[in-house]
Amino acid sequence: MDEFLAADDRDIVTAASGDPAVELAPMIALVGPPNSGKTTLFNQLTGLRQKVANYPGVTVEKHVGKVRVADDREVDLVDLPGVHGFSARTLDEKVTRDVLEGRVEGINSPDALVLIVDSTRLENQLMLVEPVLQLELPTLLVLNMSDELEARGGRVDDTALAKRLGVEIVRTSARIGVGVDGVRDYMATVRVSAPDLDAPKRSLTNVPGGVPLPMVDAFAARRRLVREIVQEAGFVQPGPSRFSERLDSLFLHRVWGPLVFLAVVMLVFESIFTWAVPLMDGVEFLIASSGNWVATNMPDTWLRSLLIDGVWAGVGSVIIFLPQILILFLFLGVLEDSGYMARAAVIADRMMYRVGLQGRAFLPLLSGYACAVPAILAARTIDDERDRLATIFVTPFMTCSARLPVYALLIAAFIPDEPLLGPLLGKRAGVLLGLYALGIVAAVGTAFLLKRTLLRAEPASFLMELPPYRIPSPRTLALRLLDRSKIFLRRAGRVIFAVTIVLWTLTQFPRTELGAPNIEESALGKIGHVIEPTIAPLGFDWRVGVGLVTSLAAREVIIGSLGTIYGVETADDESVALQDVLRRDLSPGAAIGLLVFFAFALQCMSTVAVMRRETGGWKWPTLQFTYMLLLGYVGAFIAVRVF
Amino acid sequence: MDHTARTLPVVQNAPSEREGDLRLGDIPLRQAVELIHIDLPVEQAEPLYERGILPGCTICPVRSSPSGDPIVSIDGSLLALRREVADCLCVRILSQLKDAS
Repeated sequence: MDEFLAADDRDIVTAASGDPAVELAPMIALVGPPNSGKTTLFNQLTGLRQKVANYPGVTVEKHVGKVRVADDREVDLVDLPGVHGFSARTLDEKVTRDVLEGRVEGINSPDALVLIVDSTRLENQLMLVEPVLQLELPTLLVLNMSDELEARGGRVDDTALAKRLGVEIVRTSARIGVGVDGVRDYMATVRVSAPDLDAPKRSLTNVPGGVPLPMVDAFAARRRLVREIVQEAGFVQPGPSRFSERLDSLFLHRVWGPLVFLAVVMLVFESIFTWAVPLMDGVEFLIASSGNWVATNMPDTWLRSLLIDGVWAGVGSVIIFLPQILILFLFLGVLEDSGYMARAAVIADRMMYRVGLQGRAFLPLLSGYACAVPAILAARTIDDERDRLATIFVTPFMTCSARLPVYALLIAAFIPDEPLLGPLLGKRAGVLLGLYALGIVAAVGTAFLLKRTLLRAEPASFLMELPPYRIPSPRTLALRLLDRSKIFLRRAGRVIFAVTIVLWTLTQFPRTELGAPNIEESALGKIGHVIEPTIAPLGFDWRVGVGLVTSLAAREVIIGSLGTIYGVETADDESVALQDVLRRDLSPGAAIGLLVFFAFALQCMSTVAVMRRETGGWKWPTLQFTYMLLLGYVGAFIAVRVF
Repeated sequence: MDHTARTLPVVQNAPSEREGDLRLGDIPLRQAVELIHIDLPVEQAEPLYERGILPGCTICPVRSSPSGDPIVSIDGSLLALRREVADCLCVRILSQLKDAS
């Protein structure tokens, strides 16, 4: 509260100083229900001049951008999460309410509002209008998708509506850029309002203040008001979208629906595992050649070793996944913006519901096959907090692509290339499939367990709005990809950077006359020896121990570490030399044990860091790390005795 | 199927013999009904209220999901529900608004 007042005081001082150079830009908030085209309009107005961050203390993304409204003037625009109301039941609603009430640190109280609605569903969308108008801020009502409204035979009298609500109105079709200038013109008229400290605090609720009505009556009253308003404005509901109906009869068909769903899932898999490979090879080549360049152009000092063995190797191992993550997000973006994702969530819901999750969990779990970090971020769309926690808790069980190089190395070394079920399925492919299945079983079992213990709750009333199908806007897709890659690189990059420097340091001490000690004598090697008794029951020696410790940075780092320990020159997942020494040191049972360990254990500090960020504390990541480690240990313990 | 968007006017006092017994889950496709009562605790009902699913509104089941959950049309929006929720929505049939086509 103090900070809030302090910020206001600062504004007054600035305004009073009379220096035009420091004139504050007006703050405008963009508010509207989900699927109203809010983000499309935001992107049209701000383009690349936007920043994404989190609201303080919560996981809701804050999108703020600058809009140039005249040659020498600009305004700040904040894109609020799409909401249906202000119950503060979900984080999105709480954040929206706090921003509108001017209670968020770092965001000035808005000077004006832009309320955007899908005009084809005006009556439904105007449920937000009453609480928003109660704020008594200058407001522009944007009737979006007005091209669709007319094309489908709908009508509304803008003038009558504007008069009835006492706001200005602009019609837009934000996806194709129609009417955006009108919004900009309105924004040009907004001025910074002097904070009126005597004014009563603005407040937003679903239930109008002071009236002790049961909630259902408060809503019913609002509903009647909205009906009156749209009737006075001569609103004619457009006919249903034939195009959407036709597509739905296919995508939600009893037989074809699930088949299309499976085809889409397979297409996403194909794209992240096949199409991304050349790009990932390209990135790998760039990292390797830039590393070589640095290595040949730097004197052979500890700094070179830190850069090459630490930073390049560690951070490079994460950047390699960027093409895959971009392709994944391009696909998910197209599915989301076209309207198909909502249908996919409906198809997946029954299945997810059985294990205690819900339809919206399908997207993060699918993303988890590429990388758990963006997948955990994608779970933000799950409106029920318990469902979201359960989903991000089990997401790391999905076989992410960092596990693949480890699987490939161990399978090639230990599993004979023999047919298992006829010529179609070999033993090697069978083991790989088994590991994928193991991940799914663990995820399902864990979700089931969680929803019966820590996250027990009445099943949330899953409600999925099915927006009409639309062609996604390339601009919105591109901006989102840019966003996602920034978040991924920042989140994963920082952690990997820190972890690799620590690991590298551990390989450099204690120093000998010749410089760095050999790996067994180093601090890292000693750690390997210290944990050896713990992992001996799994058939692992200190070398694997060192590999396990280093793989905390990222799972596939174990390959490079084992290569270093065994003094193998070219260590990668196809390295025959490394396979040979591994066969000498590991029993086949222990190798299976190691595979199982990797299927279960949370060997990924980036995931832990993202979990901390997304759950707002250490409780969930600690629990998750311990649980998955125990599961990995027990799994390997059993495997080494069975095989 | 063009009737789905036609949600006005709400007919009060529509004839109904089984008021309170009839649930949205029992309603055949394309039969418009009026919602009478939501048999759910407030915290579960609030998201429904926010989307305009309130006593007096007209709902029309337009489709079943492949798993048999209802997809309904309300105020021109399509909403997918779970059948467990649909079974908590007490409705009465709006015979006057039956599909004319």
